[in-house]
Amino acid sequence: MSARKWLLIAALLTPGLGLILVLIGTVVYIAVAQSFGFYTITGESGFTTQFWSDMIGRKLFSRSINYSIYVGVLSAIFSVALAYPLALWLRKPFAGSMAIGAVLKAPLLIPGLVAAFLFINIISYNGIVNQLIQWLGFSDAPIRMQNDSNAIGVLILQTWKNLPFALLLLTGAVRGISDEVLDAARDLGAGTWARFSKVIAPLTVSGMQASLVIIFIGAVSDFSFQVIAGPTNLQSMSQLMVTFKDRGDWNSAAVVGVSLMMIALIGSALMAIGARLMLRRRLT
Amino acid sequence: MVAIRIDELTKQFEAFTALAKLSLEVEQEEFVTLLGPSGCGKTTLLKLISGFLDPTEGTIHINGKDVTRTPPEARDTALCFQSYALFPHLTVRENLEFGPRQKRISAHDRKARVDDVAEKLSLHAQMDKLPNQLSGGQQQRVSLGRALVMRPSVILFDEPLSNLDAKLRDQVRIEIRRIQKEYGLTAIYVTHDQNEALAMSDRVVVLNGGRVEQIDTPEALYHAPKTRFVADFIGDANVFSGTVQGEVQPGLWRVETAMGTYDVATSTPPKEKDVDLCWRPESAVLGDAGHTGKVINRAFQGHFTDLMIETKGVSYRVQSRATSAQEGDTVNISIPPEQLILLERTA
Repeated sequence: MSARKWLLIAALLTPGLGLILVLIGTVVYIAVAQSFGFYTITGESGFTTQFWSDMIGRKLFSRSINYSIYVGVLSAIFSVALAYPLALWLRKPFAGSMAIGAVLKAPLLIPGLVAAFLFINIISYNGIVNQLIQWLGFSDAPIRMQNDSNAIGVLILQTWKNLPFALLLLTGAVRGISDEVLDAARDLGAGTWARFSKVIAPLTVSGMQASLVIIFIGAVSDFSFQVIAGPTNLQSMSQLMVTFKDRGDWNSAAVVGVSLMMIALIGSALMAIGARLMLRRRLT
Repeated sequence: MVAIRIDELTKQFEAFTALAKLSLEVEQEEFVTLLGPSGCGKTTLLKLISGFLDPTEGTIHINGKDVTRTPPEARDTALCFQSYALFPHLTVRENLEFGPRQKRISAHDRKARVDDVAEKLSLHAQMDKLPNQLSGGQQQRVSLGRALVMRPSVILFDEPLSNLDAKLRDQVRIEIRRIQKEYGLTAIYVTHDQNEALAMSDRVVVLNGGRVEQIDTPEALYHAPKTRFVADFIGDANVFSGTVQGEVQPGLWRVETAMGTYDVATSTPPKEKDVDLCWRPESAVLGDAGHTGKVINRAFQGHFTDLMIETKGVSYRVQSRATSAQEGDTVNISIPPEQLILLERTA
């Protein structure tokens, strides 16, 4: 290819790819630099590892990492696990399948914060769930479900919000598998689970990986669901970052931010590799 | 011994009847072909035998066991799909091992089976390749191999040669028959290609509109079709409506048609006066005797010449190995009485 052609390609890519690289690059550079003491807003700037060593020694930080990974991993797994049967169910069009598909994708249109408030209203002390429980006679008094310590509320919200996204990716992938391939598996003695684990899952692994990675990245950095519906004794990494920022400690916030980026990157790579390895092992 | 017994099998899709009260018995190690035009019910019947469809009525027995409601994964059958349906993410070896793994066959037996099939189908060099790295013929062999390693009682073929070119089709056809005989398999083969059906089968089931027109050997279907549909569908045929005049000699019946009068040799007396009369184009004898006709079209086909001839406003086809007749010539055609076939009139 001639230099002229390379220049043309570069010129065509620059507005899109260039902008993305500049924006990401700037953010990453500033965050990393701030975490090592540069660009200090309230004090002197200069290289130091002090912010990192302080942060690593804090129990609050390690608990926050564990909690964010917990929410990220479980949200991704639950969303994909629930999206698969729905994708398989909607694989072949039937009367009403389009309407069902549209309803299932509705959470994509609802902002997370609004959904969190609605959820809190439903499970609150005076919410309809407690009213129903009392009306059915399962309990005389309302049960405390709000801001539970295991973050079940957050996981429900994350799954509810991310399931349509996983469904969108997996439906396309599942529709790409021919009927005859599935029939062949059945004809060769594969039951429902074997057909899923040995044919459907491996053939849709790209969609599964994309869903896991994107949902994991979104959930590991959750802020809005955590603030409204999350446990009060734990902070997500985003929440912790905002806490430091609100105190004016931008450098510590940057340490949390860089850690979050690394966790998102390494975690999503591990999830993607894990999914492929697990399926590969099931085949052999 | 009967391998497959099908009794009064009916399959309806809402108001449409795909199969109507079909009965069939297939012997052990027999190769039976389901032949018919598109929509005649042959694939429906195959799917009913393999378990992918449930019949509306009737029963299916395989080796004496009622499998009418048994799911496909629990049936002792293996199906070779039209599109091969190989698992695209698995190598040839993994494709071949898929079935035995599901049946929890030991690693030793599994390897022995796969190696045996790979050798018989010359697949050894392809074992580590993915299906998309194989040619159509190789994919077909893997599909066949994947069914064979299951060592099923019954092997089912759903138009397996339809995606192959003509030359390869002939080779694979011979290969399938050889393997079926070698393994002693009972085979049901679906095709709409009459040449395939005639060349491969012990018996052919001709289906039309969800009903059996005739079940017979390829020779009997060709030389003694029972209905106008079978005569038309299997090979080339000239079929005319006629009226039986009576028996002129023992076993020789005179039939009046629009083209003239014919004497038909048959051991089975016609049941009705109104019949269809059929003869194959190659049965006609061009000579000095018989009906006179005018050649309206001539096509040299190599080992024979195809002539379209018109007599009394009726056109028909004649194939002759040695004729110099040209378009516009007048010829005399006679058909030996034993080459004329009386067909049952069907509604």
